[in-house]
Amino acid sequence: MRREKGFSLIEVLAALLILTLVITMSLAAFVERNKRLRQASEIILAYQALANEAEYRRRIDFSMLDAAPQQFVSDTSVLAPLTPFGTAVSVQQTQLGVKNVTMTVRWNNGQREAKLALVRVDTGGSNLW
Amino acid sequence: MVKRHHAAGYTLLEVVVAMAVFGLFLAILGVLTVEMRSQEKRLPVNFLRHPQVIVVISKLRRDVQDAFGPNPYPASFAEYTQTPQTLIVQSVQPSGGVQTIVWDFRTTGVVQRHAWNVGVPTNWTSRGLPAAFQVDAVEIPATAAKLSASPQQSSAASRRPWGVRITARDGKGRVAIDQILQPRAHE
Repeated sequence: MRREKGFSLIEVLAALLILTLVITMSLAAFVERNKRLRQASEIILAYQALANEAEYRRRIDFSMLDAAPQQFVSDTSVLAPLTPFGTAVSVQQTQLGVKNVTMTVRWNNGQREAKLALVRVDTGGSNLW
Repeated sequence: MVKRHHAAGYTLLEVVVAMAVFGLFLAILGVLTVEMRSQEKRLPVNFLRHPQVIVVISKLRRDVQDAFGPNPYPASFAEYTQTPQTLIVQSVQPSGGVQTIVWDFRTTGVVQRHAWNVGVPTNWTSRGLPAAFQVDAVEIPATAAKLSASPQQSSAASRRPWGVRITARDGKGRVAIDQILQPRAHE
């Protein structure tokens, strides 16, 4: 009987399976890493805009918080890379003399959002900011 | 009798399979590189992940939040004047005294903080920073009624020029840092 050199079909298939697994896992890890890096960069931009808006909102008189615009009034040019994006501000009275001002940035067709809540307390007229 | 020639090397099939696997690797590498490049093009450099930048912003925030006095931003001090690359601020210390601080962004990639405490200067320098740091005054409306107009439209008299806006751009001119800082009330 002639002695053949080489690999059997099973050996080749097993090797290909392992190779495919390694490639798939490496690819998935790389794609996930990229995605998380992108999300981290986006979040940092969003929180800068949120913090800037908070500086505006903390200067509004307590009694006027509800009447203030429900969109960001601060410059949102830092959010340009997230275009199209949306901003929203909501005010909720949690108890007498205390209001929660919640600022939201949404992007990626509303699938991603970042929120920052500011608790405002009625200081009795002085604009303590 | 014909002697069979023993040829060394690979068969065509082996070469084709090897090339196909190599091609697959190259294709994957290409796709990932393109994806990374598009991401880099869209988003600015994330400077706020760098410890040096974080320290600069943190110190600056504290100095501005502790700004004190009827005019916490004097027009000039020593050889410095207020410019988009220089911020002069009078800031209260934990001990209660007021020190004059100059943030100097004029040197590319370097930020210097000079502080004068009862005339004694101390200097702090940070390097490896974004090239295009800029300081602007930002005027924030004081009431919601004034907010109903845009900040640009509301009258200058209705706003107090107390805020400081720090921006920095990356090498491609994209805004990477944009932070508004305001002094806090001090009793």
